[in-house]
Amino acid sequence: MKRLFQPSAKTALGILALTALFLFGAPAYAQEANEYRQILGGDSRKLIWFLAQLHLFFAAFVLGVPLFAVIIEVVGWRKKDPKFDKLAHEFTSLLSVAYATTAALGGLLAFALFTLYPTFMGYLAGLFKDVMFMYALLFFAETFCLYLYYYGWHWMQGGKVFSKNLQWLFKGVGTAIIVFGLVFFFGGLGPEMRGDTRSFMTLLYILPPGIGFLILKDRKSVHIMIGILLNVAGTAIMQLANSWAGFMMSPAGVDQDGALTGSLWIAFENILATPIAIHRMLGNLAFGGLVAGAYAAVKFIGARTMEEKAHYDWMGYIANFVAIAALIPLPFAGYYLGREVYSTSAVMGNNMMGGDFSWTFIIQAALVGSLFIISNYYLWSGMTRIPGAQRYYGYIKWILGALIVSFAIWLTPHNLPLTGQEVGQMGGSQYHPTLKFMGLMPAKNAVVNLIILSTFFSFLLYRRGNKSDVLPISQQGRLPKIIIPLAGLAAVAMVGQYALSLLGMDPAELDLPADRAQYFHTVGYLLLAECAVAVLAVILALKDRGKLAQALYLGVTAFSVVIFLGVYGFVVMEKASPFLRNVAVSQFLQLISCLILVSAIDFFLFRDAKEIGKLQWGKMSVRSQYALLALTFIITMNMGLMGFIRSGLRGDWHIFGVMRDTSPWSYTPSNYTMTEMVSLTVLVFMLGVAFMFWLGGIAAKKGPTEEPATEKPASKAEAGADEP
Amino acid sequence: MIRTIGKVFLFLLLLLGAFLWMGQTITAMTGGEKKAASIVEITPEGGETIFWGKGRCFTCHSLGDQGSAVRCPNLGQFGEKFLMPIGERADERAKERSEETGEKYTATDYLVESLAVPSAYVVEGYKDEMAIVYAPPISLNLNEIKAVVAYLQSQGGELDLEAIENPSEISAKYYARISAATAAGGGDPGAGLEVFDDNCAECHKVQDEGGEIGPNLSTISLKGLKFISESILRPAKKITKGYETWVAVDTEGRRTTGLKTRDSATEVDITKANGEVVTITKTDIKEMEVDEGKSIMPEDLVEAMTVKDFQDVQAYMMMQKSESE
Repeated sequence: MKRLFQPSAKTALGILALTALFLFGAPAYAQEANEYRQILGGDSRKLIWFLAQLHLFFAAFVLGVPLFAVIIEVVGWRKKDPKFDKLAHEFTSLLSVAYATTAALGGLLAFALFTLYPTFMGYLAGLFKDVMFMYALLFFAETFCLYLYYYGWHWMQGGKVFSKNLQWLFKGVGTAIIVFGLVFFFGGLGPEMRGDTRSFMTLLYILPPGIGFLILKDRKSVHIMIGILLNVAGTAIMQLANSWAGFMMSPAGVDQDGALTGSLWIAFENILATPIAIHRMLGNLAFGGLVAGAYAAVKFIGARTMEEKAHYDWMGYIANFVAIAALIPLPFAGYYLGREVYSTSAVMGNNMMGGDFSWTFIIQAALVGSLFIISNYYLWSGMTRIPGAQRYYGYIKWILGALIVSFAIWLTPHNLPLTGQEVGQMGGSQYHPTLKFMGLMPAKNAVVNLIILSTFFSFLLYRRGNKSDVLPISQQGRLPKIIIPLAGLAAVAMVGQYALSLLGMDPAELDLPADRAQYFHTVGYLLLAECAVAVLAVILALKDRGKLAQALYLGVTAFSVVIFLGVYGFVVMEKASPFLRNVAVSQFLQLISCLILVSAIDFFLFRDAKEIGKLQWGKMSVRSQYALLALTFIITMNMGLMGFIRSGLRGDWHIFGVMRDTSPWSYTPSNYTMTEMVSLTVLVFMLGVAFMFWLGGIAAKKGPTEEPATEKPASKAEAGADEP
Repeated sequence: MIRTIGKVFLFLLLLLGAFLWMGQTITAMTGGEKKAASIVEITPEGGETIFWGKGRCFTCHSLGDQGSAVRCPNLGQFGEKFLMPIGERADERAKERSEETGEKYTATDYLVESLAVPSAYVVEGYKDEMAIVYAPPISLNLNEIKAVVAYLQSQGGELDLEAIENPSEISAKYYARISAATAAGGGDPGAGLEVFDDNCAECHKVQDEGGEIGPNLSTISLKGLKFISESILRPAKKITKGYETWVAVDTEGRRTTGLKTRDSATEVDITKANGEVVTITKTDIKEMEVDEGKSIMPEDLVEAMTVKDFQDVQAYMMMQKSESE
């Protein structure tokens, strides 16, 4: 594997492309006539579409994998368990092969853009030249960190612990960075910016290095620090590129001719830049997890020994766990992005949900619904390797029922293109008398929340599969007495502050008459009741009634979010429609607070619990591995589909409202064209990934046998000791 | 391993096949590419092209059983709610509008108003959410809008190209609004008023409302779009006579910068950008002169505006033609 990893030539191609970008990038404003070129008379848009999508697939993988590789490495380091370290290294080895291809594709895309769309790219490069230079420099930083992280893996194992003085120095630096981060977060530093940008930068750029410094005490922790810096550089690269994509949809800081009127920061931090970055961040994490999971699944299917099966089963499980953790908040990040699209332009928003892309969203619902159902299936299959999990099999049919009903509702369109005769058969209405309700936002919000709650419930069952006698929380020392109330506090703070804001909200803010405040109050009081239940759940958990606490909080949340607000949403839609978005936020906050508190209780509820038997890693059906593969293929298709929607929303504008697309390809392609293009990119991406992993496998087999003890395949006994 | 990979790719091809089938089925049901053709012929045919293309009207409106949008009123005859097509319905709506405003609306006036100021008379049960079609991203010009009016008239009503080409007083007012907006490169004058109130009205007066620190802008459109645009982007480039920036330095070295709003025999009033009036005795003034490179209007005003804000406020400015308007 190591001999194969020679990305420097391809990386240089990427850098060369960026250099070309600056050479070509003389200022050219939007009022000039656009120039378009073709290669062999082909469709330039489709070529760019293909290259951009392919580059994004590889980039998402390259950015997503280090996020969880570092976390797994930290787990191994803290638990002193070499299995996790080996796994993190194996994930990183996949990343290192893909990195060079990502850079090469990025270079190819840049060349294609500059040669085929010279006016547009000239303008963009002229405007964002400073940002593009930063992009190139960060690219070097990321490459350097990745080299050091991958090649330094074994070198940075073990060694002496640093002196106490040095450790204190690092702690001081770490504390200073965290304090700086908090000051920045509360607006004490930095330029004026949106709250989401400030939070994003604090959480992803400032706090992680601060924490990295706090834990520095030996060579291994230095390696972890390098991993953190690798992620910081990767995330920053993504954010810079997102600012260009965001600018194309919601330009800011320029006049209608495209000339910069304010500072570059305003253009950079346009309305959609950060919502896109948040959505992509979570998407990359889920995608990276699942591509790594697909690797594990293929290896599992082809494994010849039980040890191999055990290892790749475990790897697949971890990869799927990462993906589900990212998938759960993803719909809400999507909702936030959609809301900001509406804020940018009602025309763009209407076109998204009710225009050219409404049916594309139906396909998207089918894909995302499949992701959740198959993820659940994989978890249920995993229960077959857990002795004692049979006790919970009875729940599965109910969860499946809830998922299928939810999926069906989520897929139901509000109406269909009908002929006059068909309308007559439906009593003169364009809507089906019953199904019309299923196509509306309140129904869809309710079932999305139910799908997430059901998936979470599956995970809870999985976790407790082989646990029997639990150690009472009251006998577990101080830690649960601190963590559980803290989780409760977080839940109450999240839900409570929103409840108070709803109770004090002026209907005029939403262009509603004063008497509509009653609808705000109903939801506000409901949220306060949810807070009270959270407090009760904390008390019950600390009194050793953890299961009751979980059942109570989950039950109340499910009732409130799915049933009450699901039905009440229709009332709100009829009487105070603009308030519906606040109802969706209420549902989201209740759900997230429930996941946080119930997870915290669950952690201590089964901590050190007696096990019925060891997990039998490797004892999984081949069918379950195809489920893992299906998840990877579907999320890849979904990424392609969402890219089509996001990009297509601009309609016939390169830069919305500023630079028109006057090319012959200035129209919205059909959904069939979209599926053709996405299928092609998915197929080429998967072929590329398979080829690279295959080459990696050959290199690993023929490479020097210098693997340390930690690199040996995990034994069945070792693997069996893992917690689900 | 090769056999395993082969099976995996067969599985991938099956899933991609299902995906393609979905795309193909949906396209067969809902239609293919959405090309945005542009046309300036003022005929029902021209309007039809705009309605189902560049104008994006189909995103929110259906026309009888054509289209599937339900967000806004169906413009054809459809179900129990829409017993008449829009051409016929426009007569009824015009009568209601006449009663409401006291002005005499024709069906054409009603249709023109619906496109020029959609919020003026919203159909009951529907939200006031129609986009301004002559602002980006749709950016229809006046002829394209006239073509859409002709198309809507032709839906069960009487096609009256004469009324479209030689507008009544009401329609003429809306044509002027659309022309002003398109002359400004597109923009929503209604939204521009809000931008003006938030950013400009503290200093500038329009139609008897606003501050008096800066020039009255009630006839600003007569100076043209270029002047308006430059005045916002670079206020110091061309300062209106009487609004020069004065800098007074007193005998103690204190500098006061602003407009000279009073000049008596013994005193001078300097009004600063924040509205504060500073009175200086002439005997205390060491030197006082006009700073030609500076305007008291903030230079960074436009930084807080989005592209849309800028276009909207320009469109609003382009509507300011006379004091009495």
